[in-house]
Amino acid sequence: MGFFDKAKQLLGLGGSTDGEEADDPSPHATTPGAKGRDRKDRPPLVDQPAGTGQSVEDVLVAREAGDTAEARKILAQIDRGKGLRTVLRAAAALEAGDEDEVKSLLAAVAAEAEGWKLSLQIAGALGDPAAAAPYLARAIAEKAPVWAIAWARAASSDPAEQRGGLVDLLFEDARLARTIAARDFSIPGAVVDVDATPRYAAFVHGRDSIRRFGAATVARLVDRAKGGSR
Amino acid sequence: MSEKARPLLSLYTLNRPELKAFSSEIRAVLTSDDREGLARTLGLGAELSARVGKGARAVDWFLRAESDPEAAPLFASLRRVAKKRALELSWTSAEPSLEGRLRAFDLLREDARVAGLIDKLLDAERLPWFLVRPGATSGWLDKARREDLAGEMRQLRPSLPKELVAFADAIRDLDGDVVAHDML
Repeated sequence: MGFFDKAKQLLGLGGSTDGEEADDPSPHATTPGAKGRDRKDRPPLVDQPAGTGQSVEDVLVAREAGDTAEARKILAQIDRGKGLRTVLRAAAALEAGDEDEVKSLLAAVAAEAEGWKLSLQIAGALGDPAAAAPYLARAIAEKAPVWAIAWARAASSDPAEQRGGLVDLLFEDARLARTIAARDFSIPGAVVDVDATPRYAAFVHGRDSIRRFGAATVARLVDRAKGGSR
Repeated sequence: MSEKARPLLSLYTLNRPELKAFSSEIRAVLTSDDREGLARTLGLGAELSARVGKGARAVDWFLRAESDPEAAPLFASLRRVAKKRALELSWTSAEPSLEGRLRAFDLLREDARVAGLIDKLLDAERLPWFLVRPGATSGWLDKARREDLAGEMRQLRPSLPKELVAFADAIRDLDGDVVAHDML
């Protein structure tokens, strides 16, 4: 076993086992120094199953083209039973009036709506301060970190609320604030901070996907999943 | 080819209530988008006052990178006023190697408590954003932790190199909270 394989195993990242290596029929495993690979030994290519390789982006593109049926089809194929895909799949079912599918997904949506993240993504996606307020309040009650609340406020369509959010972000997490300033606001002279980028990307994908999908529908779904009135 | 001189680490006595007050003032003028108030608080001249009057929001100036030529003098003014109001220079090391010694000298690193206190003192994430400069080393310790560090380093004094001995003496002689910074 190579050094890096061993290190990967220790880190729980996989890597080949001794047994697998001993049984490995590939030429490079048994004949060190062998040049290249014998292309004839390669297994034949198989057709990818339908849905493989598709993403939420494909769903949103289909919806933006007006093909909601295709969007639902893709969502059904890519849904892994949790996460944003399940939420959007249920929201699409709600929109289409498919009660059976909504009911089958509601428990998963409720689980997804635990904690502060989805509430804040909806608040940020809604934009309108009045509509976003209950989701912001829910996220605060769920102990959302200050930077996340500030970010959601910064996404508000109300200039004072937006400004207050940006100021809070600057004081709470200047690196993230500058990344948001560069990415979301295109403020001249603002530069993305590489250390803040992973956090930015992890949150913004959900928020922007919800916004493009239709934040009001997702909000209605989450309210229903959490036993709200809408 | 001439090499750029490595910065020297300085220690400042921190007036924490005053820094908090200054921070609150800046936050208030940015939140209310009070451009005149911002210019007044930072003691800006006519040209820079006019500059902060431009743009969608006053806060946008401080969301720019510090390397932005238009924003750079505003960051400098912010730090100058913060320093004037809340920090007093107590000591500057004569040795550019001090930071390396603090971060890597084995006697300090072997003691988790001492290493933890030093790492806190050199952790810029613990300072308000307006005192942090890209590429600079900075951080702070409250009085109790500073005294802790000074006490621990006094015991190690006979085994420390000269730059650490000078640092240990300086941190012992300070009064109250301390800020470390090499580009303020």
